[in-house]
Amino acid sequence: MRILLLACVISGAAWAADNPEARQAEARECTACHGLRLIHSQRLSQAAWAKEIDKMIGWGATVKNRQLLLDYLSTEYPDSKPVPEDPKSADGRSMPAKPR
Amino acid sequence: MGKAAHSLTAAAFLRLVCAARIRIPVCDIESSSMTRLTRRQLLAAAAALSAARAQDAPAIPGKRPLIMHSDRPEDLETPNEALETWITPNDSFFVRQHLPRPTVDPAVWRLTVNGLVEKPLTLALADLRRLPQHKVVATLECTGNGRGFYRPRVPGIQWMRGAIGNAEWTGPRLSEILKLAGAKADAPYLETDGADTGVAKTPDFIRSMPMRKTLDPSTILALEMNGQPLPEIHGGPARLVVPGWDGTSWVKWVIRFSVAAEPNKGFFMNPGYRYPKYALPPGSPPVPAELEVIEGMPVKSSITTPVDQQRIPPGPFTIRGFAWAGEERIVRVDVSTDGGSRWAPAVLSSPALNFAWRQWTYRWTPPKPGYYTILSRATDSAGRVQPVVAEWNPSGYLWNAIDRAGVIVEKSA
Repeated sequence: MRILLLACVISGAAWAADNPEARQAEARECTACHGLRLIHSQRLSQAAWAKEIDKMIGWGATVKNRQLLLDYLSTEYPDSKPVPEDPKSADGRSMPAKPR
Repeated sequence: MGKAAHSLTAAAFLRLVCAARIRIPVCDIESSSMTRLTRRQLLAAAAALSAARAQDAPAIPGKRPLIMHSDRPEDLETPNEALETWITPNDSFFVRQHLPRPTVDPAVWRLTVNGLVEKPLTLALADLRRLPQHKVVATLECTGNGRGFYRPRVPGIQWMRGAIGNAEWTGPRLSEILKLAGAKADAPYLETDGADTGVAKTPDFIRSMPMRKTLDPSTILALEMNGQPLPEIHGGPARLVVPGWDGTSWVKWVIRFSVAAEPNKGFFMNPGYRYPKYALPPGSPPVPAELEVIEGMPVKSSITTPVDQQRIPPGPFTIRGFAWAGEERIVRVDVSTDGGSRWAPAVLSSPALNFAWRQWTYRWTPPKPGYYTILSRATDSAGRVQPVVAEWNPSGYLWNAIDRAGVIVEKSA
């Protein structure tokens, strides 16, 4: 049981702790307008990531260190990796939608 | 393992859980008490973390589970199994949003009609409800549906088959609204603004439509979707319904119509939602001067059953799907179960209407166990036939290649 727990902790650490500076920058600079899932569901070449970052800077994002963000995105989410299977939302049918 | 080692692990673990902002009660515990955590609490936390990593997706009010490409703003794709009815229920209908969803109170909501009109107007919902209400069944498809199939990949939401749905829309015709305002008869464009606005310098969502399509009797300002007040997430209280045209034309949360001499020059008209005038080699950069606005949608079919790589027992099996053709009607769907050597017509089960998809089925008895490649190919009333290869384009719009699903027929049931 402890081995299982340790495995969870290690994989959790690997997930959360790689490139913390870039992840913090991403969370700080990108999430005023949209969630991180929008970024993490894409797999793009470095040139395409550069174009996306520049588009967002043009749209008012404050990016302190463009190279840090570009290196991180093109390392973590390159077009050589498969696109992840996005999760399904939880069931919201019992939560009333706002009819307008 | 000693107590110290155990508690260190617990503390480190909880920091990770809390850093990931997973809401479990242990995150509220003071750090001094972390060392006293029970094994049960730890296991609960471990379960919460692993569940969150696999399925960290919230519920969307009024929606069944949908494929969540983005949670803020919500971009939600309908899974295959919810695409097998002629009318797609509101709780299953896909959602595409570019900008944060606006809050629109229907009691104070107003529609402004201005520009090249004799009498500028401000209309309330009740004014629109007093106009003759027109019903149209029309398929709404995101311009980028199927983007995830393009190679090389292009930026944007990686939609597969399900950024599409078919609904009955109800509301006044645009022609009636423009008549009230006395729109100039020869004005060439209608500009439509939605209540959604960009954060920081993100462009506002504004679209222009030629008057020819604006005045088409099937083009309406929908106030209802499948007999219900138009849900907020689908653009309530009022959205454009532009049958046969791409989803971007169907502006949500409409607050302004301006009759205009020229199309709007904002991002969502140019360069957004444009398509190359001449086909480009895959992977080419766009040539801005050689892009044009997308209008009607191409002919297309999709296979919903089986899902790709499904295992099925031997014996008779019903292949299912749907087909649609923009402003045209579907007249034929052919199916191949041998990778395209032989084709046979599917049975079309819903009415042949302009603007609405048709469901189709194909009864198949696999001759022996093994792997089969199933294909579907639609033909429309204008004689357009679904191509083998979709035309690659820099934004990944209008994917319409023949659909394909691999299936494994088992040796025994």
